[in-house]
Amino acid sequence: MPATEYSSAGSNQIGRSIFGLRRDQLNSMETHGLSGGGGGGSGGLNLDSFQTHVADCFLQLSSSHDLLSLPWLRDLLDSFLRIHQEFKTLLILSTKTHISKPTVDRYISDYFERSVKALDVCNAIRDGIEEMRQWLKLLDIVLVALDRDRTLGEGQFRRAKKALVDLAIAMLDDKDSSNTTIAHRNRSFGRNNNTKDHHQQQHRSLGHFRSLSWSVSRSWSAARQLQAIGNNLYAPRPNEIVASSGLAPAVFTINSVLLFVMWALVAAIPCQDRGLQVHFNVPRSFVWAGSMLSLHDRIMDESKRRDRRNACALLKEIHQIERCSRVIGDLADSAHFPLAEAKEKEVRERVQQLSSLCEGIKEGLDPLERQVREVFHAIVKSRTEGMDSY
Amino acid sequence: MESPPPPPSLQELDAAENINLLWDSTASEEARERMIFDGHRDEIDRYLQAVDEIQRSLSSATLASEGEQSKLNSAIQIAMARLEDEFRNILLSHTTPIEPDSFSSADPSSSTHSYVADSSSEFEDYSAEDNGGLTTPKASSVSAGDVDELLQRGDSSNTCSYRSASSIRELDLIPSDAVFDLRNIAERMIAAGYLRECIQVYGGVRKGAVDSSFRKLGIEKLSIGDVQRLQWEQLETKIRRWIRAAKVCVRTVFASEKKLCEQIFNGIGTAIDDACFMETVKGPAIQLFNFAEAISISRRSPEKLFKILDLHDALMDLMPDIESVFESKSSESIRIQAVEILSRLAEAARGILSEFENAVLREPSRVPVPGGTIHPLTRYVMNYISLISDYKQTLHELIVSKPSTGSRYSGDPTTPDMEFAELEEKTPLALHLIWIIVILQFNLDGKSKHYKDASIAHLFMMNNVHYIVQKVKGSPELREMIGDDYLRKLTGKFRQAATSYQRATWVGVLYCLRDEGLHVSGSFSSGVSKSALRERFKSFNAMFEEVHRTQATWLIPDTQLREELRISISEKLIPAYRSFLGRFRSHIESGKHPENYIKYSTEDLEMAVLDFFEGYSVSQHLRRRSQ
Repeated sequence: MPATEYSSAGSNQIGRSIFGLRRDQLNSMETHGLSGGGGGGSGGLNLDSFQTHVADCFLQLSSSHDLLSLPWLRDLLDSFLRIHQEFKTLLILSTKTHISKPTVDRYISDYFERSVKALDVCNAIRDGIEEMRQWLKLLDIVLVALDRDRTLGEGQFRRAKKALVDLAIAMLDDKDSSNTTIAHRNRSFGRNNNTKDHHQQQHRSLGHFRSLSWSVSRSWSAARQLQAIGNNLYAPRPNEIVASSGLAPAVFTINSVLLFVMWALVAAIPCQDRGLQVHFNVPRSFVWAGSMLSLHDRIMDESKRRDRRNACALLKEIHQIERCSRVIGDLADSAHFPLAEAKEKEVRERVQQLSSLCEGIKEGLDPLERQVREVFHAIVKSRTEGMDSY
Repeated sequence: MESPPPPPSLQELDAAENINLLWDSTASEEARERMIFDGHRDEIDRYLQAVDEIQRSLSSATLASEGEQSKLNSAIQIAMARLEDEFRNILLSHTTPIEPDSFSSADPSSSTHSYVADSSSEFEDYSAEDNGGLTTPKASSVSAGDVDELLQRGDSSNTCSYRSASSIRELDLIPSDAVFDLRNIAERMIAAGYLRECIQVYGGVRKGAVDSSFRKLGIEKLSIGDVQRLQWEQLETKIRRWIRAAKVCVRTVFASEKKLCEQIFNGIGTAIDDACFMETVKGPAIQLFNFAEAISISRRSPEKLFKILDLHDALMDLMPDIESVFESKSSESIRIQAVEILSRLAEAARGILSEFENAVLREPSRVPVPGGTIHPLTRYVMNYISLISDYKQTLHELIVSKPSTGSRYSGDPTTPDMEFAELEEKTPLALHLIWIIVILQFNLDGKSKHYKDASIAHLFMMNNVHYIVQKVKGSPELREMIGDDYLRKLTGKFRQAATSYQRATWVGVLYCLRDEGLHVSGSFSSGVSKSALRERFKSFNAMFEEVHRTQATWLIPDTQLREELRISISEKLIPAYRSFLGRFRSHIESGKHPENYIKYSTEDLEMAVLDFFEGYSVSQHLRRRSQ
């Protein structure tokens, strides 16, 4: 009996919709083939179409050549939102079948427990996106300094170099920075002998800077959070499948999808303690298993590559920035003034490249942030709506 | 507007460049060891003038070779790098150390440097786990004590706004001479196109300051998982602290930062003050609201209602200030998050109320309360809805739909019906409260059936419904919402329960004292069956003793009600017995062992009735009887 905007007059215990959908919404969902017929004796739940849908999404994701890029991440989150919505519908319909309420409740609670852990990951990703915005601000300085309308003199290069060094420090992997004390390389002021005590802040641990940007405590760990989401996640055994009238595999599916999505986000975006050691144990009998596991393997391979092993995150665009800015930095270091024409041409090309890169990232970050927030809301909503009957 | 000054002569430019190079921090140790802006005003002015001259040369039209341009650009870069460091240094050193002092201390003028003095009285110095022994700068941070202190001081040297309509209290975070220097530097940097560097430096330092303020205010970096794992009592404390801290954050910390940005950057470039402000507070603001968000999505259970409402009200109260401080486009996401949280808190409140109603309806305990007294559920529910009536202002806004009750003819035995016709005028909240009382009674009714004895079942209902009535009468807000009509209904209910009790217990007893069946062969006074009479007395005695034994252990907690019921019993019992005695005692006394039959005088009965509903324990009662 939710005391919410719409009243479900005359609703009794059995027919009460878990997620507060109105009768007409329920009816339209039924016509979308998620209930009735098929499903191998699951009492009216068409679970196969759910599995197929998941398989389609992952097939599409794994056939991409742009793995772990911003557009790919958006496709990933988009898929998640659709799969999540479908799962919700399934749950609602399951209450209209003969599956016992305690059984449904047990599976819902398992899903809720995992999905609430994903909320912290969403927040961490939001922090990571913000951190990337900070890098873009440093890159803006490089782009302004070496702007195409300027003549490239020593001053501009020094300015760009300064920003590039700041960027390199900012992009240091979290675990390297948390314990080291690095005086800002650019802040070439010694200050060791200075009597004024307020100058001591120069030798400030980078960990401190890092901690200022995360909204969670230093002890929070993305790796641990992922492990918690995947904790005890195993494919249902035949007797469980039967006992739950086919609901168990659907729940296993949504849990696996949730785990994968969160894991991929952590892989791609900088966040605190980004361990990627998560075990995906999916039997091939699930139609989406092949695609998901192939994606997992490819991402793991990427993380082990020599030039990416110490990256602060695996996002394709981050790699591109690293490479491009390193090249520009090298060019700046090796520049002799006045600049040779060939050299100038090269610099300008790289800067143009960097400019397009930054444009692309800027365009991609805002929508990504919004989507992450959408995922956050979708998870919260399903919890709070589901709680009425839980 | 005056015409721009002419570009410097070659000589002047040369001199300017020399000064610039003198202060090139990458060039000499000496340049690194001293800060220009720590020195004499002359030195500062000379340096700034030098920078200006170089800048003017660069932008003047009479520039010749590319080589010259390049040289000037290089000079500007050196100057800007230097100014950046000077800017940072001023910010860092004029983030004043905290004076750990209370408000009762010395007069304001003695602490001219500490515009922001810490007061440790309001808040425990909560050092979050993030501290880690870092040598963090002593940032200018703010605690609630400062605000109170300033209010007490009424010092005109601060710029506290005492506008009655506004609750925002900005403080001057940096003394005006430092602001002057910062402004001078910012002007040069922005004119030279080094705006971004300026914003970076500014944000970097001020973020640290805000972070320190946060820690002083006890704002923690808790994840949603952390919040979930905490016990509710701990969370309540944290919510309370958060509410106090959030007010200071929005109205003073953030507002003061905004003011500082305006002081330094106003009039220089477009919307730079806004960019710097966002750079400083965006992260902290998100961190602040994350806690409220975590609470709004936590598992719902009835005991959380009132703290959630407190949080909702506090946030609601802060909204105008949030909208004022975060009015720019770039801070939209913060406003949106605050609105989302508010809406979720409202939803949570509604959900909890629903949860509560469900819990009351389905409360499953079957153990009958000994003595038929007030059930703990009744107390809990009535206390709960009394509290709800205290929060009625907020809940009135939040609860907009009627409780969904069984329909009149639903025939669902597990849910009571509630007729809404006569309750047309009532607000949804009032309807919910009435509904709660309905379902409470429904549940109690079910519980009463677990008593083996019908009499105590009625007594139980009487006690509990009476308690409900008393609680409603005792709270004007509650009474106003429930309404006298329904109150009358409830009163009727417990009176009826009292009647039912009496019928259940006393009909049988009084039956023993009836006239018919005692006379034989139609004759009036002499034709009385002695055996039947003796049976009657024996039955009466036995029954009365049984009732007395049992019902002395029953309890009516309310004194007045107890008295009333006893009087009601007496009014029926005593006259009946007196009359019976009067008519028939002679017959018994004329026979053998009259004391076996006439055991009690009327006075004895009157005394015995006083034992009823006293809630004596069995052993107590036996002891009394043997006396």
